[in-house]
Amino acid sequence: MPPADSNALLPAGLHDVLPPDADHAADVQEALRQCFRANGYERIKPPLIEFETSLLIGAGAAMERETFRLMDPVSRRMMGLRSDITVQIARIATSRLARAPRPLRISYDGDVTRVTGNNQRPERQFTQVGAELIGVESAGADVEAILLAVSALSQIGIENLCVDLSLPTLVPALMDALGMDAETQSRLSQALDRKDATQTADVAGDHAATFAALLDLCGPAEAGIDALTKVDLPAPARREADRLVEVARQVTAQAPEITLTIDPVEKRGLEYHTGVSFMILKPALRGELAGGGRYLAEPVGGGDGEPATGFTIYLDTVLRALGDPPLALRILLPAGVDVATASNLRDEGWITVPALDVDGANPEAFADEARRLGCSHALIGGSPHPVTAD
Amino acid sequence: MNANQPLTIAVPKGRILSELRPLMRGAGLEPEAAFDDDSARQLRFATNVPGVELIRVRSFDVATFVAFGAAQIGVAGNDIIMEFDYPDLYVPLDLEIGKCRVSVAEPLELRATDDPSRWSHVRVATKYPAITRRHFAARGVHAECIKLNGAMELAPTLGLCRRIVDLVSTGKTLEANGLVEVEKIADVTSRLIVNRAAMKTRPTEIRHWIDGFGRAVQAVRHAA
Repeated sequence: MPPADSNALLPAGLHDVLPPDADHAADVQEALRQCFRANGYERIKPPLIEFETSLLIGAGAAMERETFRLMDPVSRRMMGLRSDITVQIARIATSRLARAPRPLRISYDGDVTRVTGNNQRPERQFTQVGAELIGVESAGADVEAILLAVSALSQIGIENLCVDLSLPTLVPALMDALGMDAETQSRLSQALDRKDATQTADVAGDHAATFAALLDLCGPAEAGIDALTKVDLPAPARREADRLVEVARQVTAQAPEITLTIDPVEKRGLEYHTGVSFMILKPALRGELAGGGRYLAEPVGGGDGEPATGFTIYLDTVLRALGDPPLALRILLPAGVDVATASNLRDEGWITVPALDVDGANPEAFADEARRLGCSHALIGGSPHPVTAD
Repeated sequence: MNANQPLTIAVPKGRILSELRPLMRGAGLEPEAAFDDDSARQLRFATNVPGVELIRVRSFDVATFVAFGAAQIGVAGNDIIMEFDYPDLYVPLDLEIGKCRVSVAEPLELRATDDPSRWSHVRVATKYPAITRRHFAARGVHAECIKLNGAMELAPTLGLCRRIVDLVSTGKTLEANGLVEVEKIADVTSRLIVNRAAMKTRPTEIRHWIDGFGRAVQAVRHAA
């Protein structure tokens, strides 16, 4: 391999985004941002780097292993490169915006980095576009977050959405109420994570029937919530389950077009969530389009946390779902075109590309030049002519 | 809504297949004739169920195909599931076939003199480097793994290392090579595995096959 190529090598999981994809990504990001704004969510822009003491507390603790660190040469304190923006929103909401009226509706968008990717998202840098609803405990807030995520994705043209509702707190609450020791809890969690019915039955012993019922009801929401209301659960677990049922019913009523499933034993990918959580998928699409749920927004200096819910849309998955960007209307202008003509074309929505030294004297050659430069049209004889093959 | 997307089921080549065929039949899945022809070069096979196809791949690759969503359902031993530990796999059903175990083995004469409690480091030939490292790390021993894809039993005899971690079913191969099984790491059977996203986006279809195979396993158990 020639030396120039090896210099172009990027670290694993990092990419250069090229035309036309970078423009497309920016457009989609902007469309999502506008959707949140129109729904009453105001934008916040936190820094890329913070002291790890503020980045990795509370909800952020779950992200510790995924966070790049660097030493601040000025303060000589350890800093972290953000691996998740929600954590920063929680910090801001409970500090600088502690006195802002509740419910607080905040949106954000920006890049995050992760130390390692996973199978579904090997990228180590990707864009999060999200919204958080802070200071409300009610089921209505959970429903608002889910429906906002769904409508944002539908608005940019993604159809066939599947929403999976989960409840990462249910199994721990149930295991505690049943008085299981730490060793059993850890083995049972692992079995449930894998939906391994055999192992679950072995580890759960006397309570095998309850856990089998929970595993069994994972699937379409309609049958699932019906079954969930009938499972015999101790009081704390029952409260959790009832919330899931209520949210599922409201979401079904308000967005009957989505495929809704429930999975009350799912925990993976929901490390910092403290209640009803969800992820949005699309059949045959790798990775999650969006994920979110309830968490506790904890003040950095300690003190009571605030109930919050929200979600993040993963822009890379969204772009995969959307496929190739629509061909832009790009027009090549011959040398000597006056400024007003070019300006008028731009006003009409054209992207204008000056040909600099090539004039339009030979229309065929000029059309070739337009094709070479990736234009869809050429300005020939004062009017736009398509130059693409079809 | 998903009627136009094929459902792909990945099954392993080799000895498990003969045990798996009755279960497939029990679940109502009949592949085209070429599936049972070992000399066929075909890798994808149609079935009696419209929209369901089978792929036949190396046993280690089944888990990978399913974890990455290239196949939605698969059949893999829990040795392979443990080795890769993919977070995107569900393991909803034990098919109770392909029974064996993953074990540590060493030469007979070594066993007489060895004191495992003094180890800080071992060198092991295996096709399961992740399982091996995890197993020894749990007791504070660093395992240096030499990845082999077969004929593990030769490694101690020829001085490549002193221990191996491998599948053991009857123990005859070990014995023939002067090795003894010193420790069982895990029991192994074949499992039905499911891609996590497929389970959530195509729940009804996936559930149909889990239940179908579940009934077939029950039927075999009752017949025994």
